[in-house]
Amino acid sequence: MTTEKEVLLSLRDLEITFGKFVAVQDVNFDIYKGETFSLVGESGSGKTTIGRAVLGINPTSNGTITFEGQQINGGLKGKAKHELERKIQMIFQDPTASLNERATVDYIISEGLYNYGLFENEEDRINKVRTMLEEVGLLPEQLYRYPHEFSGGQRQRIGIARALIMKPDLVVADEPISALDVSIRAQVLNLLKKFQRESQLTYLFIAHDLSVVRFISDRIAVIRSGRIVELAETEELFRHPIHPYTQSLLSAVPVPDPQIARHIKPIVYDPTQHHYETDKPKFVELLPGHFVYCNAPEEAAYRKQLAAEGKTQA
Amino acid sequence: MENPEIKDSDFKLVKLDEEASEKIDTPKYSYWRSVGRQFFSNKITIIVLVVMVVVLLMSFIQPMFSGYSLTDVTGVNDLSRRFKWPSMQYWFGTDKDGKSLFDAIWAGARTSISIGVISTLITMVIGVLVGAIWGVSKKVDRVMLEVYNVISNVPSLLIVIVLSYTFGSGFWNLIFAMTVTSWIGTAYFIRVQVMIMRDREYNIASRTLGTPTVRMIFRNILPYLTSVVVTNASTTLPGFISYEVFLSFLGVGLSQNVPSLGRLISDYAPYITSYPYLFWLPVLVLALITISLYVVGQNLADASDPRTHR
Repeated sequence: MTTEKEVLLSLRDLEITFGKFVAVQDVNFDIYKGETFSLVGESGSGKTTIGRAVLGINPTSNGTITFEGQQINGGLKGKAKHELERKIQMIFQDPTASLNERATVDYIISEGLYNYGLFENEEDRINKVRTMLEEVGLLPEQLYRYPHEFSGGQRQRIGIARALIMKPDLVVADEPISALDVSIRAQVLNLLKKFQRESQLTYLFIAHDLSVVRFISDRIAVIRSGRIVELAETEELFRHPIHPYTQSLLSAVPVPDPQIARHIKPIVYDPTQHHYETDKPKFVELLPGHFVYCNAPEEAAYRKQLAAEGKTQA
Repeated sequence: MENPEIKDSDFKLVKLDEEASEKIDTPKYSYWRSVGRQFFSNKITIIVLVVMVVVLLMSFIQPMFSGYSLTDVTGVNDLSRRFKWPSMQYWFGTDKDGKSLFDAIWAGARTSISIGVISTLITMVIGVLVGAIWGVSKKVDRVMLEVYNVISNVPSLLIVIVLSYTFGSGFWNLIFAMTVTSWIGTAYFIRVQVMIMRDREYNIASRTLGTPTVRMIFRNILPYLTSVVVTNASTTLPGFISYEVFLSFLGVGLSQNVPSLGRLISDYAPYITSYPYLFWLPVLVLALITISLYVVGQNLADASDPRTHR
């Protein structure tokens, strides 16, 4: 963190409600240009909801989402919205449900090109699609096939191709490998990393699999019941988890060594240990770049512990 | 037999062909070709299809040669031509005016089928287009639901009869009277189908790609609804034919000089005991038309459902 990084996406006090149900609350984080930012949490914790709010699919009830210095949630109309939609793309979890079964691969990948007129003529379009197809490792002769003829991994690569042909700045990847066979997960992850190296893409990566997240991300935010409980750089988070929920989550990561695995004691997280009734919690920066969701007494306790470990605090 | 020993030299190192795992060996899939293959794989369908084609050809070609007209009175005074039972000369017999029932049936079938086909086309086109917009737009939905509630609560028979009296009877007037409200039922049906498809993940994906709503309707939603639209049409078409027959039987709808199956059935109903062929033959042809159209339509609908494709 020597050079000042450029903030691409910034979420402030975000709240999303469905009717009376509060799905997401007090969400604050910045995503820097060119990094992979991961949201980790269990099912129903609201990570997909946040991803979809960034894309404007889920309406937000409070707070702001700022992209390239411009507020994008609520009230963005017509041309500005259309232009923004090109810059933020999404890779979906289920490669079967997210592709139009009645359209050829050619149309699916060109869909965005048609919408924004991103080609000069028919020849140019075909060339772009073919190049993209080769980049994701599919064969040009498969251009006029239908999605159901492909395997799950191939379909997910079609999904990646149609998102990345738009030359987006930010890609929201909503559990892109969860629905895939374990044997082809690495293939898709490597593909995503390759695109990031080549064109400085920024990823908002949503996942529940911690080992995958550790492999791909620069920074990680842990989310529980719609609130982000801890945010830190990947290695920092894995080495020194501060929030009890993060500690519990990390203690549950399987270790592929029975000798070590035998000695790991799973930490059980009990949400009743927090007493937030009178003293409301905040998102506090304890160490540089390491944020924890806690109230004043908890913050004091965390700081005391960190001081005992001899850490420079923020 | 000696036991051959396996040596290292029996093996050779080959390079992994990355592309081999990407190849798809199955033949290329084409939606409409699969529909055709599925449709013609059923023997009953082919038989019914032949019946349907024969009936259609007879209805549209035979009247051109017979020159059948309701106002033609040339044989009315020839007593020997009245009430002849089916024979080689008059295949379906003759009626009290000495007119050939064979000619009358095909002329009537032509009118009935034309009305059915044209009304179905109008209903389906308007119904599908309105239903598609109705399904995706919340504003349109609010207005259309009220319109639908009002119209569907008035008996359609009442609307048709009132319109027939106000505009007078006639071929096009009857089609107008029948289709002026019939499309709203189809539109409502399509609306529900569109609403089911609208929030599927592939449509959300299209939205994130910036696809405009109109293209979403035509490229994403309607192709998925082909089979339900065909199913709907295959029940609507025989329905309209029966409806026209029923209205002609009541004496509303078509004008006096237009032959139709409904008019034949209503005119010959008094002879059901004395000259039964006069009543039963038009009924039989009507049954042939509606059943064959229905069966062919249903099988086409089944074939157009990609889940039946192999």
